[in-house]
Order: sequence, then structure tokens, then C-alpha cells
Amino acid sequence: MRLLRSLIAAGAVAALTMSAGSALAESKGKIYYMVPTLLDEFQTESVHALEKFMKDVGYELVTLNADSKTDVQQSQMNDTIILKPKAIILAANDFEALKPSVEKARAAGIPVMIFDRQITSTMSDLTSVAGTVEIGYIAATEIQRLLKEKKGAVKGKVLQVLGDPGDSYTLDIQKGFEEKMKAFPDVTIISKPAMAWEASNAGTIVADQMLANPDIDLIFVHAAHLAVAAVASLEAKGKKPGDVMLVSSNGAPVGLDLIRKGWENVEVEQPLYAQAAALAMFADKVVNKQEIKPGKYSVLGLDSELAIEKWGPNIKIPGAAITKANIDQPKFWGNMKAPTDAVKSVE
Amino acid sequence: MTAITPTTLSATSLSPRTRAVTEFVLDNLVWFILATVLTVFSLTIPQFFQIGIFSNIIEQSAVLGVMSIGLSLLIIAGHLDLSVESVAALSAMVVAMLFANSGAGLKYVLTPEWLVFPVSLAIALAVGAVIGATNAFFVVRLKMNAFIVTLASFIWVRGLVQKLPDGRSAQGLPDALRFLAIERYNVLYIPLIAWIAILCFVVFAFILKRTPFGRHLTLIGGNKIASFRAGIATDRIITVSFILAGAIAGLAGWLLAIRTSGATANLGTGMLFQAFAAVVIGGVSLQGGVGRLSGVFAGVLLLSSIHTAINLMSLPASYTQIILGLLVLAAVLLDTLKLSIRQRLT
Repeated sequence: MRLLRSLIAAGAVAALTMSAGSALAESKGKIYYMVPTLLDEFQTESVHALEKFMKDVGYELVTLNADSKTDVQQSQMNDTIILKPKAIILAANDFEALKPSVEKARAAGIPVMIFDRQITSTMSDLTSVAGTVEIGYIAATEIQRLLKEKKGAVKGKVLQVLGDPGDSYTLDIQKGFEEKMKAFPDVTIISKPAMAWEASNAGTIVADQMLANPDIDLIFVHAAHLAVAAVASLEAKGKKPGDVMLVSSNGAPVGLDLIRKGWENVEVEQPLYAQAAALAMFADKVVNKQEIKPGKYSVLGLDSELAIEKWGPNIKIPGAAITKANIDQPKFWGNMKAPTDAVKSVE
Repeated sequence: MTAITPTTLSATSLSPRTRAVTEFVLDNLVWFILATVLTVFSLTIPQFFQIGIFSNIIEQSAVLGVMSIGLSLLIIAGHLDLSVESVAALSAMVVAMLFANSGAGLKYVLTPEWLVFPVSLAIALAVGAVIGATNAFFVVRLKMNAFIVTLASFIWVRGLVQKLPDGRSAQGLPDALRFLAIERYNVLYIPLIAWIAILCFVVFAFILKRTPFGRHLTLIGGNKIASFRAGIATDRIITVSFILAGAIAGLAGWLLAIRTSGATANLGTGMLFQAFAAVVIGGVSLQGGVGRLSGVFAGVLLLSSIHTAINLMSLPASYTQIILGLLVLAAVLLDTLKLSIRQRLT
């Protein structure tokens, strides 16, 4: 009987300790993450990364998937505002369409952090980006280098395979890329969208264009999973690695795999882990509506610049061009080596 | 001058020869449209008229074509299956996850290597057949509406495609599978996956037209109650049709995975509506009981030709959607016109 009583008492103490622990872990409350879709690896990994980093600083992350639908994301924002979370993290499907939702949340006293997909037309509480336009810039710089190495000058024909034409993300990359390529009139750019970001659509575009324009020197696709289908089409046309240069963006594992196999030359990395960690580092300040100071911050070892822009504090994490020379660096999220060290809040 | 009016086109006013020609044209209208469209594209779009482009059109038709076969069978039987797109994606994902060598691929290697071909095919067919059987159970046994049941499958199966690899893609199928997308035979330079699709059309066109199963399927679609009273095992045939449609969608997924060398969570998105468009353009009546697979094949080729033409022209992609929408509408109008002409011929 005494043993039973001791066991019950021990159980009760353990239960109390556990509940207290869990209460402590959850004491800071919930943050909602509006992920635009879970149909690509960048977004899926962003959920894992944000969950981990937010937990490091004491918040519970709840994720809502908009399934690539702007109206769904708007409804999710409306529903979440009613729940009054500590903050909302938004990766917008459509930058302009979500602007009123951001304003509504902030008017209700809920801070809004912007992840990866920058909204510059209204105020937010913190933006963490590599910059979609900047991805286009990096791609352009690398493509200029590749064309020069191959042809002695920046000239030739580039096939640009966009994602879905209704997605501002791909349009911004296109904008950045074409802006930087304007200086090189000897480069012909053929742009085609892969509807719904669907891989076989990208494969079909590449198959058709390689026949209509057999002198294409380089293919630039806006996501690594599209690069796989592009390679499949090239292979089906009897091409070998290196016959047609290939550049892709987002840094997904399949893109890195294509570089290792020799099919792809450059993958433009979006620093997923650092972008997510930056939000966690400043989460306390955002939730408590404290001032965020501009300056240089080290985010997972990456030197990042925080500036106060007209749309609010904006931390820009440098993206990178992944090539065969640097592909094995663990900082690239495509290597799927998520940081294990805990992120600490900025004091 | 004499105007041709419906009354002048009566059965009695036509010679047997004219009547036979008219019947032939009506039966193969979509092939004539395809020939016209290809001629116009060849004359007006630079780079279109070449063997490589025609080979591309046939190759691009392979997956959609196979998917359309299963859908056609069910529509002819008076039902429909909205889940074929997701079923194809699931089969592709399961095969890619098992045998792909990167991403979410588990890199299973079979010895000898060629075994991956029949094993992966059997898995893809089985995945499709299981979902088809599930659909059949709800529709035939529980008498639920096929639209709702298969819509639900369309959603939950896609969820499974997303969940199984945890949102990741599985890429890099072994050469023993990829050769189907790479190797090309004969003068038209058509890859093997396209030949598989063509073979499927021939086999199922034969089944539909020449076997008791096919004839019963058409009869059930025309009038289920009359077929039942005539002693046809309607429930069994509809069940088999659902399973067949699922298995054929599984085959489409297998081909899709081979073509793109793997699978992503959004693989095949949008194919359902294209398959429906191809079926309707091909002359299969959504009311059931009417339709031929040769027409569906022409419908698929027509859609792929338009896609290819738009790829080669400097048109925004949204034009594809507009043109496809108008084409479906035109197909339905033509179908109504065909029906009205046929009534006057008899």
C-alpha cells in the first residue's frame, strides 16, 4: 500500500513537473506561419526550420497551408486574426492581395513578420528575405559569367523557364534577371512559364524549345524541381551533361544533386535556415513591440544587414551561388543538414 | 442558289455514297479538325513543321492519353472519375520513392536491374487499382454519387502524395526505367512511352468495340436500367470499370514518373481538366453510352498540338487556357450539331 502511495505521489510529481515544463515551453504563446504551399521542398523545409527555431526561443509554431491559393491565404489570415496569436509569419502567395490582411492584423494588434516573400507596399514588423529580385540578380551575374566562359563574350540564347505566371515570386525573379541582362543586347532571352509549377510542363517547354531553337546555350529555371524535368527532356533528346548549361534557383536538394551529376552549373541558394533563424532571433522584440535596431547581425554565421525600410525592419540574408566548388558546405539547405544549435533571442 | 437547310439534308435526299461519306466525316470529325489545325500551324508557325515537333506532340500526349482512356471508359459507362489525376500522381510518387536515387527516393535496387521495370509497373497498377476499387465500393455498394466519391479521392489522394515524401521530391529513376523515355525507334523518332500509350489505345479500343465487356459498358452508359433488365451484370461491370480506370491512371503515373525522372508533390497538377477536355473533344458524350477511343486519341493529340504551338509562338501561357476553353465549347457545339445531322440522316 505504501509502495502504491509512493508510486502515485511520484507520478503526480512527475506529471506536475512535466506540465510545468510544458507550460514553461509554451509560456510565450503561439505564432502562426502562413505557408504558401507545401508542394515544394523549400516550403516544406521552411516549416521544419521555423518550428525548430521558434521552439528554441519559446514559441509554438502553428502552420496553415494556403495550397497556392491567394483567397485561401486571405481567409486564413482573417481566421487567425480572430485567434489573436502572438504574431503571424506570412510568406505571401500574392504580395499585393495580402496587403490588406497584413494591415488588418496589425490594426488588431498582432505583429506580422514577413518570410522570404517581401511585401514592400505596406508596413510590417519584420521582414526576413534573401530577396526574390536579388535571386534574379545573382542568377544574371552567374549566367553572364557562364556565357563569357563558353563564348568569350556575354552573348547567346537563354531559355528562361518561369514558374506559374500567377505567382509574384517567379515574376520578381524574372524582373531581377531581365533587369541585369538588359546591358547585354547580344543575349536573346526566351521566357516561358511552367503552369502551376508542374514539372512535366517545364519538361515539355524544354523539349519544344530545343527543337525550335537548337542553338540555346543555357536554360535558367526558377526552381530546382523544374530543372529535373528539364534535364529529363535534354536527356531524352540525346544531350549529355554540359551540352546545354543549366542554372536554377532556390537551392533544393535535387538541384544540388544535378550539379553533382554535372547537368547543372549553378544553383542560386535561398538561405532558408538563416532566413528562418532571423525571425526567431527577433521574435521576442516583435511580439513585445520593442525597437529593432538596424545594423549588422550574424545569423547562423552569415553576415546579414538589418535596415529600417519604409515597410519596416528588413533583414537581408545574403543568397549565394552554389557551384561544384562550394556545393558541400553545410550552410546550404539543399544539403539537408539543419543547424542543431539553439537560436538565441537578440537582447 | 439553294441553301442547305436541315430539311434538305434528309435521309431520302442523300445518295448512299454521300450518306456514307457524311457518316464517315461525322465519326472522324476530330481527326479532320486535327489535320486542319496541324496544317495551319505548319504553315503559319516558324519551326513547327518538322519531324521532331510531331514526335514531341506524340510524346507529350502519352501520359494524358493513357489517363484519358480510363476516364473515357467510365464516362461511356455513365459515370466519371475525378480522382485519376491524383491517382497518377500517387503511383508516380510511390514508384519514385521506392526506386529514385535522390531526394525522398529510397534507392531500392533490384537484381537483376531489369526487374525494376515489371516490379515498378505492377506497383503503379496496383496503387491505381486499389484506389479504383475503393471508389467502386462507395459508388456501387453504398450507392454514393460518383462525382462526390471521386472528388473526395481526388483530394485525399493528393494529400497522400504530399504527405508520403513529406513534401519532398524523389528524383533520379534507374536507367532500366528511364530508357523508355530516352530510346526512340522508327522513322518518326517516337520514344517508347508514346508507343505504350498508342498500344493502350489500340487494346482498349478493341476491348470497347469487340468484346462483350466493352459492348455492355456502352449499353450500361446508354441505359443502365434497360441493361440490367437485359441480364447484364451492371454492378460488376461498373466495379471493373472503376478498377480499370484506377489502374490505367496508375499506368499514366508510371509513365509520368519515367518521363520526368521522378516525382514531385505537385506532379500532374491540372491534368484532370485536360483529360476531360480531350475526352469531350474526342466525342465522348458526358451523358454516357457514346464514344470511341480513336476520337479521344485525336482529342489528346489536338490538345498537345495547341500546347506545342503556344510554346513555339510568343504567346503568353494564359492563351493556352483560353484556347482550350473555347475548344471544349466548340467540341460540345459540334457534338450537338453532329447529333442533329445524324437524326436527319436516319
